[in-house]
Amino acid sequence: MVVVLLPSLLAAEAGGRNRFELDAPTVGDAVRALPVANLVLDERGELRRLVNVYVDGVDARDRGGLDAPLAGAETVRLVAAIAGG
Amino acid sequence: MGVLVLVGTRKGLFALESDDDRRDWELHGPFLTGWQVFHAVVDPRDRTIHAATNNEVYGATVHRSTDRGQTWTRAEELGLPEDTGLTLEKTWHVEPGREGEDGRLWLGAAPGVLFRTDDGGATWQPVDGIVRHETRDRWHPGAGGMCCHSIALDPDEPERMYVGISAAGVFRSEDGGETFEPANQGTAADFLPDPFPELGQCVHKLLLHPGRPERLWQQNHCGVYRSDDRGESWERLEGNGLPSGFGFPLALDHRDPDAAFVVPEESAENRVTPNGRLGVYRTTDGGSSWELLTDGLPQQAWGSVMREGFSFDRLESPGIYLGTQSGSLFVSPDTGETWLEAAAQLPPILSVEATEWS
Repeated sequence: MVVVLLPSLLAAEAGGRNRFELDAPTVGDAVRALPVANLVLDERGELRRLVNVYVDGVDARDRGGLDAPLAGAETVRLVAAIAGG
Repeated sequence: MGVLVLVGTRKGLFALESDDDRRDWELHGPFLTGWQVFHAVVDPRDRTIHAATNNEVYGATVHRSTDRGQTWTRAEELGLPEDTGLTLEKTWHVEPGREGEDGRLWLGAAPGVLFRTDDGGATWQPVDGIVRHETRDRWHPGAGGMCCHSIALDPDEPERMYVGISAAGVFRSEDGGETFEPANQGTAADFLPDPFPELGQCVHKLLLHPGRPERLWQQNHCGVYRSDDRGESWERLEGNGLPSGFGFPLALDHRDPDAAFVVPEESAENRVTPNGRLGVYRTTDGGSSWELLTDGLPQQAWGSVMREGFSFDRLESPGIYLGTQSGSLFVSPDTGETWLEAAAQLPPILSVEATEWS
């Protein structure tokens, strides 16, 4: 079981919920199980460029991206990169 | 009867409400905070609000609300097939289908693509007639991207529709959107080696007159035009009072097919309202002459109005609505004669749509 934490805009899109507890073997499995999966992933199913995913504080892109394993992990945090105006 | 005006901004959606007098306005919102609302419209068939929404981080989508913006549902399925090599960049314009076409809406988007839904906006299918158009390799993006921003449905001919794409031009379908043909004869593309090509024109806004559907108007990068033959040919209309042919917004009076309103900008190189003021230019003779309307509009202004920032209601004495990049919504309750500022200090306004609402 891993806890997935969402930033505010995604939480609003998830009906106000910012915390999900999921059984998921990989980051991709966890993200695809979220009701906001099509905001986190693009139409090809890839992680959007400005969305960062941290698994217990480590950038998932350094651990295989969506294939990063979640075995033993406690927290997956989705963070919007600094962008916009 | 009253009027509800949806104001899409760079930072969410606002709604303004008034009675028939359209002089006192109540502001609601913001809704959809965190989203850039490129366009929002009420579907007159069921009063659902549909919004073309974009976010730099989370991409492009469409939201809809059946409770006047209190809660929103996002499209479940919206994307482009991998074999096209295209990916969805921005959503630009939602056009409700005709009366009787239950659940059908059209969506214009970038990069120069069109979608259709038949389930009220839950799932959107790409329209191959545009997405896979054989001339696509001759289309180019304008400053705002390659946006499909105008969708016009012929109210009398269910198989006929038009789209405007910048910078690809105007396209007409006679088979319900299966196939599209360019409809740009007579419209200029001064930025291309051939100034009158078959396509590649930078149409900024395309509208069809609902009372005379063979008549189309367009505000183009290179002039203001009218067509009286379903886009087969176009007549350039500036001069005779218009200070510039360059501009983005266009509005039509539903009662009078000879009337049109534009808000020109000085030039493509200096995109501000001309002569240091905000003015609306009106023709009532099909574009032969234009007059400047300024009563109540700021007379010291270097403004700009986006292509979706201009709207008309359908009351007996129609009102006009104008949203600026400076965050002001101006309303004329008397078809342009006088104006009042209904809201100020909003985020930069991207779109305005007025709907009769009781």
